[in-house]
Amino acid sequence: MDFYFGLIQLIGVHTLLGLSAYIVLLTGQVSLAQAAFYAIGAYVSGMLTVLAEWHIVPALAVGGLAGAAAACAVGFPALRVKGLMLVIATLAFGEGVRIFFFNFDYQIAKGDIKVGPLGGEGFRQIRFFPENGWTTFDVMLFIWLFVVLVMALLWWFDRSRYGAVLRAVGEDEVAAQSVGVNLTAVKVSAMTVGGAIAGIAGCLYAHYTTHIEHASFNVLVATFAIAYPIVGGLQSVFGTLAAVVFVQGFLVEGLRELGDWRNLLFGALIVLAMNLRPQGLFWRRGA
Amino acid sequence: MLDFLQAVSDGVLFGATYALIGIGFTLVFGVMHKINMAYAAASIGAAYSGLLLLEVMAGAPPAAVFACAFLAGGLLGWVVYLACFHFIPLSHPLATLMSTVGMLLLIDEVVVHATDGMPQNYPAMFDDVMLHAGEFTLRGDLLLVFGVCVAAMACLLALLYRTRLGLATRAVSQQPIAAQLCGIQVAQVNAITFVITGLLGGLAGAMIGASVGTLSPLLSGPLTVKGLVVTVIGGLGSIPGAIVAGLLVGGFENVFQLYRGVTERDLYVMLLLFAFLVFRPGGIFAPRGGRD
Repeated sequence: MDFYFGLIQLIGVHTLLGLSAYIVLLTGQVSLAQAAFYAIGAYVSGMLTVLAEWHIVPALAVGGLAGAAAACAVGFPALRVKGLMLVIATLAFGEGVRIFFFNFDYQIAKGDIKVGPLGGEGFRQIRFFPENGWTTFDVMLFIWLFVVLVMALLWWFDRSRYGAVLRAVGEDEVAAQSVGVNLTAVKVSAMTVGGAIAGIAGCLYAHYTTHIEHASFNVLVATFAIAYPIVGGLQSVFGTLAAVVFVQGFLVEGLRELGDWRNLLFGALIVLAMNLRPQGLFWRRGA
Repeated sequence: MLDFLQAVSDGVLFGATYALIGIGFTLVFGVMHKINMAYAAASIGAAYSGLLLLEVMAGAPPAAVFACAFLAGGLLGWVVYLACFHFIPLSHPLATLMSTVGMLLLIDEVVVHATDGMPQNYPAMFDDVMLHAGEFTLRGDLLLVFGVCVAAMACLLALLYRTRLGLATRAVSQQPIAAQLCGIQVAQVNAITFVITGLLGGLAGAMIGASVGTLSPLLSGPLTVKGLVVTVIGGLGSIPGAIVAGLLVGGFENVFQLYRGVTERDLYVMLLLFAFLVFRPGGIFAPRGGRD
């Protein structure tokens, strides 16, 4: 049973990661920096619970804020460039952050072991959940609490004036600007909200795996973050959730018995899906 | 000082491979206004295909292996075009971005599957040759890499500026609709561009294999990033820009590898990119104003 709980935890965290890219994609920007905000949230909150011995909830809040602050800081210079240049700028930022954590040592002695991030070996012993006696089921509920909250928030955004503005910028920047939309404010705010969501996802990820390292935040993770909303379609937040279930539940876990062939099929199926449904798998016509 | 010069010269020589990869990204961007994320992976895949020749014919000369990689690169370029671009309408830029990412994963996995994930030794030429000038040395294999890459670039420029095919390619990159009205088959030009970039990529992959000595599928991720960095620093769509930026990035990263170690090296490459984005967002050779 714990295996399924673990899978549901993973799906929850990846849904948050996908949603963080979803809101940025709504404004027509492709950001490959989501893995960086995810890494920042993971390291910041992990250091708070392990080194400063905070409770998980304030650490989660600070992790989210750190992600948001980084996203806001990246947003201003990066949004000077658009389209494909932004893809590359954010990709480079993501790699830069990953390499920073690859070289980041900050260890303190706690009892007879040293804890804290240690460069290439990563950050072990993020044991808030086991130390406080949370079961896998509790952790799963905790993660999904945030998934539901974030999905509800974004769903509400979609139905509010703010969501309409986001989509207007995504559809046609010039038209949006000509009716008085402040492009910079909209794009940076979407980026910031996305950064906060990624930071929260990173915090949850760090605490449920208990061990993070720079390789957990590489380009592939950033690509997955944007892949979920693109594969699911940008029509609603449920597309992202469905895509995560499709990718992590079906492609990764469901095809596990295929062994090696699963990985081969994985890339091929993404290529096929994009050829057949360029607007996303779960996009309904006319809606 | 001597160490510095040595690092710069080695880096610049190896940077020629980055320049080739950057040209591949930039050509496709120029013609289709799309990024082919699978490009670096396809280049490494083509270099692996060169090794197939050694399977069939043990003891084949390295030059034949390079030629085989070159041809396999062209073939792979065409496959990538068909699988990721041909059937997807141009109005869905995100879909082609995603399909090429899928292709990147697929090519990497095919390579891992075929080699059981073990790094493979790659043949080199002139690797026992060393040119000395006092303390200063030039590695023969790096010189070969540099020479081959420069020759490939010269051929490419001749193709683009001295043939009808090149004229058509440049026409499509400037004004696709006007080019179509003049009777140029845009889809065909796009496909040929992918084949040409694939050929260059196969050569670049083989040269990387030859100068590093081994090939591993792990190379394709960093190479994708470096190629894109080179493309942006040089200016999207600018071929001379990609060449200069490739050599610049190669020299720059080798200097930082000397002074700061291999783990921090790429951090400074990213900082260089950010400096360019902030102070010169159009790159070294900013293309004239236009779309995107």
